[in-house]
Amino acid sequence: MRERPAWATGVCAGLYAAGCRDAVYVPDNQLSHVLAEIGERYRDVRLALATREEEAVGIAAGLYLGGRRPAVLLQSSGLGNALNAVTSLVVPYQIPMLIVVSMRGDVGEWNAAQVPMGRAVRPILDAIGIAHATIESPADAERIVALTAATAFGTRMAAACLVPRRITSAPAP
Amino acid sequence: MTRLEATRVVVSAAGEAPIVASLGHPAYDLFAAGDRPQNFYTWGSMGMASSIGLGLALAKPEARVYVVDGDGALLMNLGSLATIGLLRPPNLVLVVMDNGAYATTGGQSSPTALGADLEAAARAMRVEAATVRTEDDLRARLIGERREPLVVVAKVSESAPTARPPLDCVFIKQRFMAAIGNPEAAAHVAGRA
Repeated sequence: MRERPAWATGVCAGLYAAGCRDAVYVPDNQLSHVLAEIGERYRDVRLALATREEEAVGIAAGLYLGGRRPAVLLQSSGLGNALNAVTSLVVPYQIPMLIVVSMRGDVGEWNAAQVPMGRAVRPILDAIGIAHATIESPADAERIVALTAATAFGTRMAAACLVPRRITSAPAP
Repeated sequence: MTRLEATRVVVSAAGEAPIVASLGHPAYDLFAAGDRPQNFYTWGSMGMASSIGLGLALAKPEARVYVVDGDGALLMNLGSLATIGLLRPPNLVLVVMDNGAYATTGGQSSPTALGADLEAAARAMRVEAATVRTEDDLRARLIGERREPLVVVAKVSESAPTARPPLDCVFIKQRFMAAIGNPEAAAHVAGRA
């Protein structure tokens, strides 16, 4: 088994500690480490693949209504796909969920098509009233994810944890 | 059958089970057919009713979960059928009120008016599906034990609803969660422990 990057194991430990036992996701290259870690080490976390990020948010909302503490895993580009569900379901109904955002378009990006949305992620989250925190180092990942989730489920509002590209694309030590 | 008549059949079949309604006329007709705490009325997020129902069905395998969707709304989230076909919760029943129109926004024709077939779309995604045109046929599809999720496309005429569900989204949510056995206040306190 290949060793997983510390940020990814930290993200999983954080969401597990926060009580998330459901993770709805749309695949992303960096998040593949998180998905593999959950699949191997957190067998009681149910992974659910969605076809589109907005759908993932809708499924997560239903999971919360049913008494679960859902996490949504997506790439920053997919936040744009999810916005209508976030702004017209999650925010007005005060439905909490942990949203883990694998960032694209920030420093370290090579693909110009990723940059505009990547630059817009924080201003958009601020504009719609979604709290967000950024993982600044791999060692911080578990704590920041757990804190973000605690904020979401404590205040009954979705909260986002951003994983920058400088963390996810760094070569393994 | 009108959409209101079809919705009354769903409410009757549901008993105490939760019903998630798509925004606009499907939600208005659900309210008119019988307001109950187990009704989750959406006021936005067009297309998300089937996804909310899917998540709810996964969270509560012991409960049958009904969704009252619209043809235009399902077309906005057609990938939902693929995900239902993938995750296959046996307790999910998705009733698509297919009037061939975007009735809430003024009655513009939808693709189903020209033959787009949502039953075939569901089947193509490995979801059992049927199309019904009468209340009796709809009722017959909704009763009985199930081992697979089900999509029922109900061909309906417009019922021009006038009543409106409560506008307070948080009220709708908290009433719903309490009625289906997940009172939010209790979850909140437990979360702090």
